[in-house]
Amino acid sequence: MTSGLDSSLRGKVAIVGIGLSPVGSVPGQSPLALTATAAKHALADCGLTRKDIDGVLSGSAIASPFHRFSVAFSEYFGLAPTFSNTLQASGATAATMFNIAAAAIHGGLAETVLVAAGDSMLTGMTPDLALRALTESRDQQYEMPFGIPVANTFAMTAHRHMKEFGTTPEQLAQVAVTQRRHAARTPGAQQTAPITIEDVLSSKLVTTPYHKLDCSLISDGAAAFVLTSAERAQALGIEKPVFILGGGECYTHEHIFLMPSLTTTGAVQSSRRAYRMAGCAPKDIDVAGVYDCFTGTVIMMLEDLGFCPKGEGGRFVADGHTTYGGQIPSNTHGGLLSFAHSGIPGSLFHFHEVIAQLRGQCGERQVAGAELGLVHSLGGGFATHATTILGTEATL
Amino acid sequence: MITPEEARRKPEPSPDADSAALWKGLRDGKLLLQHCKACGHVQYYQQAICRRCGSDDLVHRAASGHGTVHSFSIVHRAPGPAFKDDVPYAVLLVELDEGPRMISTYTGGKPDDVTFDMRVRLVCEPISDTISLPRFKRA
Repeated sequence: MTSGLDSSLRGKVAIVGIGLSPVGSVPGQSPLALTATAAKHALADCGLTRKDIDGVLSGSAIASPFHRFSVAFSEYFGLAPTFSNTLQASGATAATMFNIAAAAIHGGLAETVLVAAGDSMLTGMTPDLALRALTESRDQQYEMPFGIPVANTFAMTAHRHMKEFGTTPEQLAQVAVTQRRHAARTPGAQQTAPITIEDVLSSKLVTTPYHKLDCSLISDGAAAFVLTSAERAQALGIEKPVFILGGGECYTHEHIFLMPSLTTTGAVQSSRRAYRMAGCAPKDIDVAGVYDCFTGTVIMMLEDLGFCPKGEGGRFVADGHTTYGGQIPSNTHGGLLSFAHSGIPGSLFHFHEVIAQLRGQCGERQVAGAELGLVHSLGGGFATHATTILGTEATL
Repeated sequence: MITPEEARRKPEPSPDADSAALWKGLRDGKLLLQHCKACGHVQYYQQAICRRCGSDDLVHRAASGHGTVHSFSIVHRAPGPAFKDDVPYAVLLVELDEGPRMISTYTGGKPDDVTFDMRVRLVCEPISDTISLPRFKRA
């Protein structure tokens, strides 16, 4: 007897088109304009046109006045979808978009879904929007009166991880150093100048234990993807479809003070569900996109996603296991720390990279023989978690 | 929409139906926790039902005011103009002796003095006529 989790979505839906806008500092481009650029590239990538799209999933954009971003984008892009929504799970939204798009296509709500999001947090924020983002991000009664920045919630978890497991500032810094090296090989990445552990530790303190270079970037940028059924992908003659093999989510709390454990997160449950649906284990994954809003976030996620035992994430990174030749090359585009972080699209960049890796299109960044990939998106001080496992045709 | 003037003021909690008793208690120098009469669960975040068992039979009892520092982070870059003059300050995740955890800030000493598992004690600091914030000092 198998539950619906075991294989219901595995291999049923393919990602056939991927596209990015320019990222980093892209002045004069609204979130809608950036998203349209990425969507054009995604359609061109698979040879489909706007007429082929009947579903649109998006995430909200801080620098856009439109609350129903997917609806505003559909109008802007000349679409009238019969399936659409603007999802909100903070940083986890990216993976939820893929999981929900897959379920919608498999369930018959849509045939071909455009997953697309863009934001211009670096150059497009009006002073009013910037102030609102700063002051309304946490609970107005229980958190904000104490002056708790968003970074602070992540900082307290990393700090506790250091206390419980002996994780060091140097190990945190190594995450940033490794990913900067990856970004140097990624065309268009926002930050490519090499950095050392010393550079990270001597950059300005933001909120202990995090320095400026432990924190992700603030960027403009968009990403878009075209998803359709495996049958349609085959009928279209798509050359290198990448399949969704498994998805999972978990939401353990809203407030940081109600997080069950500061050092073990909902990523455990969300990834276990995804592995189970995909029928694989952490050791089978060839390349990963691990949400990296801060350096310590990566260390904790490597543990919770099952790539190394609890408490050993710091050593795992220091030993080179997240780069080429290691156990799980991760964030090979540079991640939120060095490629770009434009809010909700930030983790879509992880998807873009992992899909490009599985297609074998990453040139000098290519992870040899990559067939199985995982992306984990999270947000809200570890409140939201979503995992997606992707694979090539050979993995079906 | 928020104005720059508003952003320079520290956010002051606006009590709602769920939290009115908590803020009134703090003004009187007491931290009121919700105790579930059905299952014994104790919660700080004020709501109409017990998060553990779903019962709505909750009673308020004043906390002892004692706790330990479960984690902390010293803020060097303020979240907005209102907190600029305060940095560096230590944000605490305090575990109360009754069980619940809460966000607070350290008072009555230097932020660098804060350590893990440090014993702390509640101080209700008035910030307006109606609102006092629950902060903690070294016990």
